[in-house]
Amino acid sequence: MKQSSLSPIKGASLILFLGVLLMGTASMAASPAKSKASQKPDPMQVVRGAKAWKNNCGRCHNLRSPKELTDAEWDVSVTHMRVRANLLAPEAEDIKAFLKASN
Amino acid sequence: MRKILCGTSALAVIFFASLDANAQSIQNTDPSSQALLERIEKLESELNALRQAISQSAQTADAAQATAQNAIKTVNVVQKQTAKAMQGRYSGAESDAKWHLAGYADVGFVGSDRPGADSFVTGKFNPGFHFQYKDLLVFESELEFSTTSDGETATELEYSQFDIILNDYITVVAGKYLSPIGQFQERLHPSWINKIQGAPAGFGHDGVQPTSDTGVQVRGAVPIGKSRLTYSLALGNGPRTTSEGGVALEGVGRDDNSNKSLGGRLGFFPIPNLEIGGSYLTAKVGGYEGEAVAHAETPIQVSSDDPLGLDQARYTLWGMDGAYSKGALSARFEYLKSHRGTLFSITGEEPLGDVLPRLGMEAWYGQVSYRLSNVGDSDFLHNLEPVIRYGQFRISGHDELEEENAQDRFNVGLNYWLAPTIVAKAGLEWRNFKVLGVDSEQLYQFQIAYGF
Repeated sequence: MKQSSLSPIKGASLILFLGVLLMGTASMAASPAKSKASQKPDPMQVVRGAKAWKNNCGRCHNLRSPKELTDAEWDVSVTHMRVRANLLAPEAEDIKAFLKASN
Repeated sequence: MRKILCGTSALAVIFFASLDANAQSIQNTDPSSQALLERIEKLESELNALRQAISQSAQTADAAQATAQNAIKTVNVVQKQTAKAMQGRYSGAESDAKWHLAGYADVGFVGSDRPGADSFVTGKFNPGFHFQYKDLLVFESELEFSTTSDGETATELEYSQFDIILNDYITVVAGKYLSPIGQFQERLHPSWINKIQGAPAGFGHDGVQPTSDTGVQVRGAVPIGKSRLTYSLALGNGPRTTSEGGVALEGVGRDDNSNKSLGGRLGFFPIPNLEIGGSYLTAKVGGYEGEAVAHAETPIQVSSDDPLGLDQARYTLWGMDGAYSKGALSARFEYLKSHRGTLFSITGEEPLGDVLPRLGMEAWYGQVSYRLSNVGDSDFLHNLEPVIRYGQFRISGHDELEEENAQDRFNVGLNYWLAPTIVAKAGLEWRNFKVLGVDSEQLYQFQIAYGF
C-alpha cells in the first residue's frame, strides 16, 4: 500500500490558506468597531453607490428596482453579491446606501 | 351635576326637618294632622332612597372613568409595540441576524426538427436562502427542484456555503460552492440572467466548465488605483472519473483519491465597463472503481503496484473570459481548455478495467445582446432585447462523448422583459455536430423566467 504523504502542491496550499486565515484574523482583531455615526450614508455615498450599482450589478444581470427589497433584505443581498462578484467592501457599502435610500 | 344633586338634597332635608318639628307640635293638638305626619315620614323615606341611588351612580361613574383611562393606556402601549414591530419588518437596521429569500424559476417549451422531440418542459424552481450575522458571516444555499422526463421530482443541492468575511479584502468560503472557474456557472447560469434558454455548448453539465466543487475558497478584491483586482483561490475535492470514462466536474461529498484540486480565477477591470479574467485548475483524478467502492466509508487506497503510473492522471484546465457592458449593450466571451492524461479505469463497457487515452476538451462562446430601450417611443419596443450567441465544443480521446457533444452551436433569440427580473424568451438554436453521421439539429425554444 502506498504511504499517504503531503504533496508539495497540497502542502503549499495548506500553508497559504493558514497564512491567509491568520492575516485575516489579525486584521479583524485590529479593525476598530464601526460606530453608528459612520454607518449613516452621506449624499456623496449615495451618488457613488448609484454609479457602482450600475457598473457592477448591470454587468451580469438586469438592475433590480430598489423597491423590491427592504433595508434588511438589501443588507443581506448586497453582502451575498459582494462575495459572489468580488466587490470591494467600500463599493458594497456605497451600493447598500444607495439602495436603502431609494427603496 | 353631582354638586347640584347634593345641594338640592340639603335644602330638602332642611325643609322636611322644619316640617317635622311643626308636625310634632301638631300631633299633640290635632288628630287630623296624623295623616300629614305619615305623609311626611313617607317622603323622608323616599328622600333617603334617592340619596343612596345618587351615591351609587357616582361610584359607577368613577369606575367607568378609571376603566376608560386603563383602556387608553393599553392602546398607547399597543401602538408603540406595533410601530416597533413594523420598524423591524421593514428596516431591521438594528438586527444582528438578517435573512433574505431569493432564487428563480422557469417554465418553457422546446421544439425540434427531429421527430417526436417537441415538449413542454417544467423548468426549474431554485429557491436560495441567505442568512447573515452582522458583517461577519453569511450562510447561503440554493436548491434545485425539477421534474425528470420520467415524471420523478429531482432535487439537487446547487451550493451550500459559509462566507466568513475576514476583512475588506478577504472572504473565506467553505462548503459546496459554484465553481469560480470562468464566469458562466458562477454568475450567469440562472435562467433570469442567462439571455438564452440553455447553456453554451461545453458550459453546462457534462461540459468542460466545472459547475461546483466542495472545499475552501479564499476570495475578494484589492483596489489598484481607480480599478480593482479580483481573486478566487479554491482548494477542493476536485474532478472525478465517471463510469463512462469522462470527467465529472461537480462538487462531491467525499474525495475519491484524497488529492485536492487547486484552482481559481483572477479578474481585472482596465475600464469600469470591461472585466477580463483568467482561470486555472489542476488536480489528479483516479480511475472509476464502481458504485460500491465510490461510496465506501473508508478512503480508497491507491495501488502502488502499477508500474506505468496509470492509477492517477493529471487533470489541468485553463481559460480566459471577458465581459463588456455599456448602456443597453452587453457583450461577453469565455474560453476553456482541459486535458486529462492517460488513465486506467473501470468503465461501463470494460468492468475489468481499461486504459483510457488522453482526454482533451475545448469550448468557447461569444454573446452579444442589445436592449432596445432607446429605440423609438414604444414601451413595447423598449422592453425587447435581441441576442445572438455562437460557440464551439470540441472533444478528443473519447469517441462516445465526442459523438454526443462535439458541435458548433448558434443561437438567435428575442427577449421581452416584463419587469427587470421577469423575461419571456423566444429563440432558435442550431446544433451542427462534428462527428460524421450525426445529424444536425434545429431547436425552437420558448421560456418564461422569474428571478426573485
